[in-house]
Amino acid sequence: MLHITGLLGLLFWLAVIPFCIGLIPANFISAKRRGPGFVLLAGYFVMWALFEVVTIPAVLFVKYDNFKTASVCFMISSMVCAAAGVWLAYRNHRAHRPDLITGKDVEIRQKSDRNVSFVKRVREHIAAQGKRMSWAERIEWLLFFGLLGFQLYKAAAYASFDGDDAYYVVESLIAQQADVMYRILPYTGRPTDLDIRHALAVFPMWVAFIAVKSGIHATIVSHTILPFVLIPLSYLVYYEIGRQLFRFNPHSGHKEKTAREQTKKERAGRRQMEDNTFLHRENLPVFMILMAMFQIFGNVSIYTNETFFLTRTWQGKAVAGSLVIPALFWMFLWIFDRRKGMPQERTADRKAGGNARKAAGRKPDVTEKNEAVRKQRKRYDDAGLWLVFVCINMTAGVCSSIAVFLACILMALTALALTVTERDYRVLLKMGAVCIPNVIYMAIYVVTAYSYLLK
Amino acid sequence: MWGIFLESVVVFKNYMGFHENGYLAGIYLFVLLYLWLTEKDKRRRAIFVYAPTLLLALFFCPLFRKVFVRILEDSETYYRLLWLLQMSLVSAYGLIRLCGRHRRIGLAVICIAVAACGNYVYDSEHITKAQNAWHLPQEAVDIVDLIEPEEGRITVLVPADLIYYIRQYSTQIELPYGREMLIARWDYHHAMYEAMEKAEVIETASFVGLTREYPCAYVVLKEDRELTEPLTDYGFTLYDQVGEYLIYQDSETSQEV
Repeated sequence: MLHITGLLGLLFWLAVIPFCIGLIPANFISAKRRGPGFVLLAGYFVMWALFEVVTIPAVLFVKYDNFKTASVCFMISSMVCAAAGVWLAYRNHRAHRPDLITGKDVEIRQKSDRNVSFVKRVREHIAAQGKRMSWAERIEWLLFFGLLGFQLYKAAAYASFDGDDAYYVVESLIAQQADVMYRILPYTGRPTDLDIRHALAVFPMWVAFIAVKSGIHATIVSHTILPFVLIPLSYLVYYEIGRQLFRFNPHSGHKEKTAREQTKKERAGRRQMEDNTFLHRENLPVFMILMAMFQIFGNVSIYTNETFFLTRTWQGKAVAGSLVIPALFWMFLWIFDRRKGMPQERTADRKAGGNARKAAGRKPDVTEKNEAVRKQRKRYDDAGLWLVFVCINMTAGVCSSIAVFLACILMALTALALTVTERDYRVLLKMGAVCIPNVIYMAIYVVTAYSYLLK
Repeated sequence: MWGIFLESVVVFKNYMGFHENGYLAGIYLFVLLYLWLTEKDKRRRAIFVYAPTLLLALFFCPLFRKVFVRILEDSETYYRLLWLLQMSLVSAYGLIRLCGRHRRIGLAVICIAVAACGNYVYDSEHITKAQNAWHLPQEAVDIVDLIEPEEGRITVLVPADLIYYIRQYSTQIELPYGREMLIARWDYHHAMYEAMEKAEVIETASFVGLTREYPCAYVVLKEDRELTEPLTDYGFTLYDQVGEYLIYQDSETSQEV
């Protein structure tokens, strides 16, 4: 049962390590987009991608004690990544750059942080957030947290029967108790050949890893502990999606730029945002409540991803349907749904600048050079997002081999739609590049599944 | 091709729960149509309107279904393609857009509509009060605690309703057959399973012969399971009883172990 070392183990591997790993992609996105939610989510996806890279070779090429081998490799590599994340955060702090977790500027941080403890800072931050909200919003957020708490209570206090547990949960338990991955048939306990369709989806092995590190029985980890991680994590993805969809804050922006300082285009955009009330930030809690309601009442059949989400939370396929696929939408929105800063717009800006200089027949002056440097830096603002995008696609493979195929289809269709609407073929190329790990995964699947034909 | 298309229609109807009066799909399709007509932002249009529409077209395309099933060698998972629609996400966005300024009343109306058109997940017959931290039936846990060896592994024959749970608690217990026998459409055959579950009355002599082939150290039977002769006549001893389950130990096999 739960004991203090087990709890510490869970806290370390389910919160500290992913959070520290998440600091790496956070370093490569713009400060405006940073937030603790992004850091945690990005950390999980990078960690799962890392787990895939380490575990699949062990499954395929190591016969005895393959779980032990994979565990040691994953433990070392994830700790190295976590240390790299902490080092990046420290380096940023020393260089007086914006904070990796909050994105706050160093001056603002220094003003508010002097001689104040971390807990007090968090309390102040929450209080400041609360002050900005209307009473209606506060009540809506309370309602949402009530719904989330209800789902977590149900997950802990109620058992959900699913026949597939006889495979997935037992696979985790075999790895925990016998240090073996996919070489024993979970149903009976007899030795078996690799079942490649299941063997490449190593999510049960990650569950086993958590079980080993916390010293808690893998079945308890699956049924009782993981819902407390995976359900809030899914809502965190919905929150990030909502933050993008309803990002306009009608009460902000006036202080930064006066109406006179704003360009004509900016003024027009702002007016449009003010008119479209559905884009306002205050709709975010409404969105979260609706998402929770759809999950609770989405059991229209046993097949929906909502049903999987709340009745088989701990299984890889449920994670694929409720965390990985929404996370792909999160990335589509974060990368492509922008009024400013779209890659092709920036390129157009650069081209326009270059053409003007050519026409004038002169070299760029210092101001122009600074502008070029700024633009160059801006180009790298997206690098962290693309890294997370790749890792989300790799996580699909961790969850289920079909999910890889599904992720590719979604990427292809969305890329096609965006290419046509944006009239920019590079979207297709970039999204195609993101799918490269999926293609490799599918190639391994096909080669291993049909290798008997080559013999 | 027409037949394959009709199969996709059946999969779609089953997924959306039309046969059980689940009309959440109606809300989704309405929202999709609404976004088709009103969404002006071309990027959001691409993500929330064009991509899902293309996906639906692909889902019903017989050629695509053929390729999908051929590559994955599995037609049972075709419904998962519909996960890509992310119906709740698109519906929530579209409905908030539809409500516009009437946020509070809109929220109340939508919540009522979702509850009315959907199906409460916790009403499922598969969800029951948890009896322990493992979320397994307590009887399965108690039985394993009684018979689990301190070292090594043993084979145990258990009734069908315990098969799913025994190895979720301990992998030191092996089973002569597992869950694969309980799924009719997988169409497996196993002599031990036939003797244990299919026979109206267990033919003790042949049954004991089969259990010793493995060999099963213990046989767990339901109290009311009928046998032609008592197991105790064949070298078994009644080891213990947990709830409605009787645990027999095979003295011959135990000596060998």
